[in-house]
Formats: sequence, structure tokens, C-alpha cells
Amino acid sequence: MIIVNNVTKTYGKTIALNNVNFKFDNSHVIAIMGENGAGKTTLLKIITGILPFDNGTILIDGYSIITDSIKAREQIGYLPEMPEMYERLTGREFLYYIASLRKLNDAENKIYEITKMIGIYDFLDSEIGSYSKGMKQKISMTSAIMHNPKNLLLDEPVYGLDPLTSKAIQDFIKNKKGTTVIATHSTQLVEKIADLVYIIMRGKVIHFNNVESLVSRYGSIEEAYFQIKDVVNV
Amino acid sequence: MFETTIIVLTENTRNLLKKVKETPVLYFIFSGMTIFSIIIFSFATYFIINIETNLQISLEDMFFTIFFIFMLKSIADFHNNYIKSIPLSYTLSTQKNQKRIVFEIFVAVLIIQLIIWFSFSVMYLVTLTIFRVNVYYPYEYLLFTLGVIAAVFIGFSICINFFSPYKYRLIPSIILLGFYFQGRHPLYIVLTLPLAVLHMIWSIQSSMPSYLFSKRKERMKERSQVKMRGVIRAIFYRETTVLWRDRLLISFIITSISTGIFTGYFYVYGDEILIPEYLRETMSGFLPSMFLYLSIFIVVMYTAVFPSLNLFLNEEKTMWLVRHVPIRNDLFVFGKTSALSLCFLTAIPVIPYISMVPLGIKYVGKKSDIILLYSVAMLLFLILGSISFLRFIINRVFEYPIFIYAIILLIEILILYISLKVSSKMLALNYNLNRQNT
Repeated sequence: MIIVNNVTKTYGKTIALNNVNFKFDNSHVIAIMGENGAGKTTLLKIITGILPFDNGTILIDGYSIITDSIKAREQIGYLPEMPEMYERLTGREFLYYIASLRKLNDAENKIYEITKMIGIYDFLDSEIGSYSKGMKQKISMTSAIMHNPKNLLLDEPVYGLDPLTSKAIQDFIKNKKGTTVIATHSTQLVEKIADLVYIIMRGKVIHFNNVESLVSRYGSIEEAYFQIKDVVNV
Repeated sequence: MFETTIIVLTENTRNLLKKVKETPVLYFIFSGMTIFSIIIFSFATYFIINIETNLQISLEDMFFTIFFIFMLKSIADFHNNYIKSIPLSYTLSTQKNQKRIVFEIFVAVLIIQLIIWFSFSVMYLVTLTIFRVNVYYPYEYLLFTLGVIAAVFIGFSICINFFSPYKYRLIPSIILLGFYFQGRHPLYIVLTLPLAVLHMIWSIQSSMPSYLFSKRKERMKERSQVKMRGVIRAIFYRETTVLWRDRLLISFIITSISTGIFTGYFYVYGDEILIPEYLRETMSGFLPSMFLYLSIFIVVMYTAVFPSLNLFLNEEKTMWLVRHVPIRNDLFVFGKTSALSLCFLTAIPVIPYISMVPLGIKYVGKKSDIILLYSVAMLLFLILGSISFLRFIINRVFEYPIFIYAIILLIEILILYISLKVSSKMLALNYNLNRQNT
């Protein structure tokens, strides 16, 4: 469970998140939608402890990201939108490196299972610098889920992936236990796998509902997104 | 016309301005160091002109030094602006002739080198004028300028062909360089400038394969080294792997050994080579000590300061990894620093870490690369100077200075430990929360 309470984040004079509140319950896939620069990526980075914030509290399974940072980060798996990794390591070396930092048991089997599932296994012995964007995404995805985290935060998880891998990832997310938060622009992805959706605009939550009721009311998530945004703009 | 040249120049200028804004103190120190270096260099020139020594620095030597420096700088600039450039793929995908684009990048790099050459040479000449040295050598200045231009042409050819799948294309440039070295006279280089131009034109013809080759190259590695490790060992292994694959470890070792040999040579024969006979009695021992000190400085800078600063500067884009995994910051700092254990083999090993690691962390994400490194070099110069003075005092005052050195080393290690602890604190995110709400 992730609780975000009255969090504010500013970059200089720009307010990226303005006193936002979220409660991401267990056993839910939560989608966060919003236009470019709305604050989606900032929110995920703040929850994972990558960025500091100016005000508020964040609890990951009861652990504060500030005072119990290590415990909180143990409960998290994170996939960034643009995964930058160590280019001179091979994919396998990188995954073992992260597994070592996370003190993972049975890393070999887990890496094998996940990399087979998402179709990167055969390329594990090439340097990351020679990977395509999609391949980097797959390696980063493996590092995010190999410790089976209770809370998974994914920034555009299927962006740049081939359809087969995208389907495998979606199935994985749907069947996963615990909390999964996805920041995405893809309304189809939200419809397929999310239970709840938050729409944020200029650092504020403008709407929150479950996906089923939005689809039954507006016909589709895409339509719901446009109409809700229009109402707020007016 | 020359859109790419303008874009490359604009980007380079804006990057520089951005870095100046982000780290003004560093750039202030760097400017100070540049001026200081030019004054020292001018003073050395004045010294060589006015005092009779066995050391002969000819015009040819200076010419070749400048030629070589600008050639290396051109290679680095072409690598950054062409071979390694990511945004260039957009330009290359337009309907504009790709060879023309490469030529425009060449023009941009040539302009950059000429700006550097003119600004530094003018500063040098002005300083010499202040020392009342005659600087009216228009013919020589023209030769030097043409030499810089030739260096850019050759640098371009070397860079393009070094990254080409057909490495044998480097041979003509190497042969030409060999002739330059054999010919020695600046006029020879200037006269063969048309040959360097031909090399450049020929290299432009084969520039695209080099670009594509560097982008697509597959680098397979054996998996035998892959296994689970403890946190510090995992970080140590990652750092040394990267240092090894970037060929930096080899470079550190070679630099240490070659500087050691030169130092030894100057320590033994320095008096004979550098000091005129009539001064030898009064100045004996001074220059060898100075050379020893300078060599230690160079080795420490290259094998300890540069890598320990870069430990964290190179993490710039991968900080998300460091920050989201559940490990303590001090383990991370210790792991990284331990990867530089090679540097402990070099002279005065502990000192650089004490200040470099926290500095590297302070500037993570504001990568000021070379400027930061050279500014630190200046500070370290002062620190090492104080240490050698301290050493002089200790040797004079104490009968058994080895004990004093042992105590100093222990103190250094203690300070190093504190420095690493401070570094790990600095690495932590700084939450300036408005209220007590954690």
C-alpha cells in the first residue's frame, strides 16, 4: 500500500505537484493519466525516493520514504520512462548487479524466468550500450520485477515494446499481487489492465474513479479523459 | 548554408554557458588557473631566453607540442560532435547530403580550435610583452596558425578512420604524421597542408561507415564473471569492469610507470641537464626535487583525482538506480571508492580521496567534467606543496621521521573515513520540508 499525503513538489517557480493525496491500495492496478508535464513521472520518482519533495508525507507499506528509506525502497520495484543504465555492462551483468544490491536469493532462476518471458534472454551477454530502446526497457523491467516487489511503479511500461512482449507484461501486471501504479498516456492500456484511474493536470488530481464506471458512463477511457479534461478547462 | 556548423557552435556555446551558470565558482577557479598557467608558461619562456641552460627548447619543439595538442583536441571534438552525437541522427536523416553535413561539423570544430588558439596565443604574447620579451614574429605566428589548421585536418582523418570498420584507412594519416615528425620543420608541415586537406576530403568520403559502425557495434562478453556478490563487492566489480572496458586501468598503469621512469631520470640527471654550470653549486638539488614533486602531482592527478572525481560524475544519468535500490549510501560510497584501490599504489594516495569523493558527489548531475577536474588540480597543487613543505620540516626537526609519517598516514586514513561518511550523507536526498511532517 502506498499513501501519498499532501505532497507538494516545486522545480524553482514551477509547481510540479500541488498538495496531492493518493491512497494506492493492495491488489489494485492504478493508472495515472495526464498530459505531458502534468506531474506523473515526478510523482513516481518522489514515491521511489529518487526525488525529494517540499511538503507532505509518503508511506510505503507503513514505512516513510524519508525516515525508513531503506525499508520503504525494499518494497518497491520501479521502471523509469527512459531507463539509463551502465552502458559498458552486459544485460546479465547489470541484472546480477541489481540482484546483488537487493540481496536477492535465487537470482539466476528469477532472471532466467523473467528474461525468457519478456524475450531478452538471448541478448543478455551483449553490452547494454548496443541495445535498442525496447531492449533497454526489457532489461529495466526485469530489474524492476525480479525481486517480486509488493509495490510496482511503472512509467510507460509498454512504450517501445513489441506486441508480444507488451502482452506478456500486461498479463504479468494483471496477475500480480500487491499494488501496481502505472503512469501512462495509453488509454487502451488503462482499459485493459487498470482497476482505478487518477487524472492529474498541472500537478493536481482533477478526477479519480474506477475504470469500469468510467467506461460505462463515457463509452471508453479515451472519451472519459477528453471530456473530464474539457470540463476542468472550462 | 552551414546550418549544421551554426547548430554545433550554438550548442557548444550554450552548454558552456549553462555550466558556467550552474557552477560559477568552478569556472572562476578555472579562469584563474588558466591565467596562472599562461603566466607560468610565459615566465618559463623568459627564463629559457635569458638564462643559459643545457635545456634547449627550439621553435620546432614548441610547434610540434602545439600541433600535437590541437590534433588531440580535434580528435576529441570530432568524437563528441560526430561519432558520439545522438541528435545528429536527426540531421543525417534529412535530405541534405550527408557528406556535406560532416563537412559542416568539420568547419565547426575548426572554428572552435582557431578561437582557442587565437585567444590563448594572444594572452601568452601579451604576458610576454609585459615581461619585455620581443614578440614580433609575424612569420612564425602565421606558421603556427597554419600548423593548428593542419592539426585539425589530420585530427579529423584520424578520428573518422579510427572508428571506421576499416582501420587500415588510418595508415595514410599515420604515414603523414611520421613524415611530419621526421621533417621536424614547421615549414614542412605548412607546405604539406594540401596533403592534409586531401586526407580530410578522402576521410569525409568514408565518414558515414564510421558513424554507423560505432552505433551498431555489438559487444559480446563472456558470462563467466557473472555471479551474486555482497553489496560492496558488487559495486567494486561493476566499477572496475567499466574502468577496464574503457581501457582506463591500463592507461593509469602506463602513466604511473612512464612518469616514474621520467621522474627517476630527472632526479638523477636533472642538475646536469637543466642547471647551468655556474649555478649548479647554489641550486643543486632544487630542480630534481621540483621534478619529483611535479611528477608525483601528475601521477596523483591522473590516477587518483580524475577517477575518484569521476566516480560520481559518471553516475549522472544512472542516479535513479542508486537512489531507488535499498542500500545504505555509505556502502555505495565505500564500494565505489574501493574500486580505486589501484590508486593506493601511487604516491600520496589517501589525500586525493579526502576531498575528491565529496566533491564528485556535490557535482553529480551538474557534470562540469574537465573544468572541475582542472580546478581541483590547482587546489591539489597547493595541498601537495604544503605537504612537501611539511615533509621538509619533519625531516629537519625529527631524528626518526618514519614514526611521524606513520602517524600522519593514520590521521589521513581517519580523515578519509570521515570524508567518506560525509560523502554518504551528501549523497542522501535533501528534504527541505516546510513542516515537521515526516
